[in-house]
Amino acid sequence: MVVVLYMGLFAMSFDFVSGYTGYLSFGHAAFYGTGAYFVVLAANGQVPGIPGGTPFMITLVLGAVLAGLLALVIGSVSFRLTGVYFAMITLGFAQVIYELIRSWGYVSTNPTEGATVSGDALAIGVPYVDALSLDVGRLTGESVENLLGLGIDLSATVVSYYALGIVVVVCYFAMQRIVHSPFGRVMIAIRENEERARAVGYATYRFKLAAFAVSGFFGAIAGGIFAAYSRSVAPDGTFYFLVTADALITTIVGGFGTLAGPIYGTLFNQGLEDVLSTESGGIATLLREGLPASALEADLFGVSLELFVNTAVDGRAPLYLGIVFVLFVLFVPNGILGTLRDRLGGTVGKRLPDHLRRYLR
Amino acid sequence: MSLGTLPAVVDAAALASALDPSALLATGGAVDGLRTAARVLAEGIGKGAVYFTIAVGLTLVFGLMGVLNFAHGAVAMVGAYLGGLVLVIVVGANTGTLATILVFFVALALVFAVTTAAGSAMEVTLIRPIYDRTPTYQILLTFGVSLIIEEVARIVLTLRGIQPDPQWQAPMATAPDVLLGRTQLFGVGVRRLYLFEIAIGAVVAVAVWAFLTKTLYGLYIRAGSEDTEMVQALGVDVRKAFTVVFGVGTGLAAVGGVLLMWDPIWGPSVLLSIDVLLYAFVVVIIGGLGSFTGTLAAAGIVGIADSVTTWLFTTGIVTFPGLSEVTIFLLLVVMLIIRPQGLYGVEEVGGH
Repeated sequence: MVVVLYMGLFAMSFDFVSGYTGYLSFGHAAFYGTGAYFVVLAANGQVPGIPGGTPFMITLVLGAVLAGLLALVIGSVSFRLTGVYFAMITLGFAQVIYELIRSWGYVSTNPTEGATVSGDALAIGVPYVDALSLDVGRLTGESVENLLGLGIDLSATVVSYYALGIVVVVCYFAMQRIVHSPFGRVMIAIRENEERARAVGYATYRFKLAAFAVSGFFGAIAGGIFAAYSRSVAPDGTFYFLVTADALITTIVGGFGTLAGPIYGTLFNQGLEDVLSTESGGIATLLREGLPASALEADLFGVSLELFVNTAVDGRAPLYLGIVFVLFVLFVPNGILGTLRDRLGGTVGKRLPDHLRRYLR
Repeated sequence: MSLGTLPAVVDAAALASALDPSALLATGGAVDGLRTAARVLAEGIGKGAVYFTIAVGLTLVFGLMGVLNFAHGAVAMVGAYLGGLVLVIVVGANTGTLATILVFFVALALVFAVTTAAGSAMEVTLIRPIYDRTPTYQILLTFGVSLIIEEVARIVLTLRGIQPDPQWQAPMATAPDVLLGRTQLFGVGVRRLYLFEIAIGAVVAVAVWAFLTKTLYGLYIRAGSEDTEMVQALGVDVRKAFTVVFGVGTGLAAVGGVLLMWDPIWGPSVLLSIDVLLYAFVVVIIGGLGSFTGTLAAAGIVGIADSVTTWLFTTGIVTFPGLSEVTIFLLLVVMLIIRPQGLYGVEEVGGH
C-alpha cells in the first residue's frame, strides 16, 4: 500500500497541471524521474556540491527544485503550443531524457538497470535531528516499539508508510492551498476558456508556466520518496512513458480536475491488483481452491481452465484496469470523486453529513 | 528499433553490419567515403519505408477525424503476430523462396482485411459516442483500448506457450535466405531486406495516394481534413466516411506490423505496441498531422537520421549508445519548437 502514496502523489501532481489547466502533460515522468534519480545520486555522493550523507529531506527538496527548474525550461517552449501538440512535445522531452539517462554511464556501471542507494537508510523528518526523523525502506526502515508508551509496535513497513504518508499529506495540503488561491482560479479559467482569461488581463503564459513548475516540483517529491523507499531506481520505472500513463489512468478513474481524486484512483488500481494477485485470498487463489478439480481440468480451446486462471487472472490487473478505464472514459468522464461531487452538489466532506442526516430521521 | 527495452539487440544488429568485411572496407578508406555514404543513405531509405508504413495510417485518421489514435501501435503489434501466425502455419522447411514471399503477401492482405473490419467496428462502438467531447477523451479512450489489446495479447500468447517479451522467433525464422543477404547496387552492398521494405513501402505509398486522390472516399478525406462541417453541409455522410477511414487507418497499422515481422531489429513482440506508437508519433508530427506528403518526407528524414546516427555509433565516432533514439526524439522536439504544424501541416489542424 506504500505504492498508493508515491504513485498517488505523482498522479496528483500530474492532475494539478493537466486537470486544472487542461494541458495534458504527457512527459510528466521526466519530473518523477528527476526527483528519484537526484535523491539516489545525492545519497551516493555523486552530485557535485552535495556531500554524501546530506539528510534526505534536504536532497528531496533540492531535487524537487531542480525538477521545477526543468519544468520551467520544458514549459517555456512547450506552452507556446496547445492540445495534442503540447502533449507530444512534453512526451518528446521526456523520451529524450529517458534515452539519455539509460545510456549515461555516470549514473551507475549499468545505466539501463538504473542505480541503487549504497549507503545508510534515508530518513524522513527534521534534518540533523535524529530523534525526529524516521528511516524508511522496505528492509532498511526503522521499526518503532512501544509507540509513545502506548504499547503499540510498528514494523518497518508501517513506519515507512506513515513517514511517506506525512510527506504526501503535506504536499496535498500545499497543492490544495494553491488550487483554492486566486492563482488556482486563474488555472481553472485557463482550462475553461484561455482566450477569455487572457482578455480579462491575465498573462496566461506565465500562469501556465508557474503551474507547470509547481507540478514538476511535487512530481519530483513523489519520485524522491519512491526512491527513498525502494532504494533503487531504473529508467523504465521512473522516466518511461508508461509511468506517466499510470498517473493518467489513475487520474481519470479517480477524477480529472479534482486534487484528491488521483489518490482514490491509485487506491482503486492497487486494490484491484491485490484482489487479483495470488497472495492472501486473491481471486486467483480463490478460484484455484474453490473450483472442483474436474472444472479446473476442463478443456477451454485446448488449454485447461487452471492454466487460464493462472495466466488470465493472476497478476493481470492492467487488463481489467484497462477495461474499467475505457468504461470510465465512456460513461463516467468525471471519475469517482468528480461524479460523487456532482451528485452531492459540493465537496464530499461538506455535503455528505447532510445527505446522511436524511436517513437518520 | 526496440525503443525501450532491447537496445542491445539494436546495437548487435548494427554492429554485425559494421563488422561485415565489405562494410569495414567501405568505412576504412577515405576513397570509399562516397560508397559508405551511399550505403548509409540506402539503409536510411529502407528504415524510412518502415517508418512510413507504420505512420501513414495514423496521419490518415487524424487528417479526417482529428483523433490521435493511441491504439495504433497495439494494432501494429497484433498485425505482426497475426502475420507471423499465417507464415508459421503455412510455411514449412521445404517451402520455396517465391512461395514464402507469396504467402507473405497473402498474410498482408488477410491481416489488412481483418484489422480493417475490426477498426471499423471499434469506431462505431467506442469512438462514435465521444466525438462531441474534447480531443483529450479520444486520446484517453484509444489509449485504454491499446492497454486492453496489449494485455489480451500477453494472455493469449502465454496460454499458447509463447513468450510475449522477447521477439517471437518462429515467424522471423521463416524469412527467406534471399532477403537476409546483400545485393550489389552501383557498387554498394545493400541488404536485400531493406530493398524489400522499400518496395512494400512504395506500394503502400502508391496505394494510399491512389486512395486519397482517385476514390470518392479519398475526396471526402481531403475535403474533410480542410473543413468537416462544410463537407457535411454538402450532403456527404461524414459518419460513414469516418468509419471507413478509421478502419483503413487501423488496417494500415497492421500492415506496418506485418512488415516489421521479418525485420531483425523489430520482430513480433508485445513491446512493439509502444515502440511503434512513439515512432509513428514522431514521423506524423514532423511531417504535419494529417498530411500524406509530410508523412512521406518525414519518414525519409527520420529513417536517414536513424541510419546516420547508427553508423556514427557503430564506427565508434560517437560512443553514446542511445544516439539514434535521442536524435529521433530531439527531431520531434526541435520540429515542434520551430514549426509546430510540421513540414506540410495545415496550421488550423489540431488547433494549436
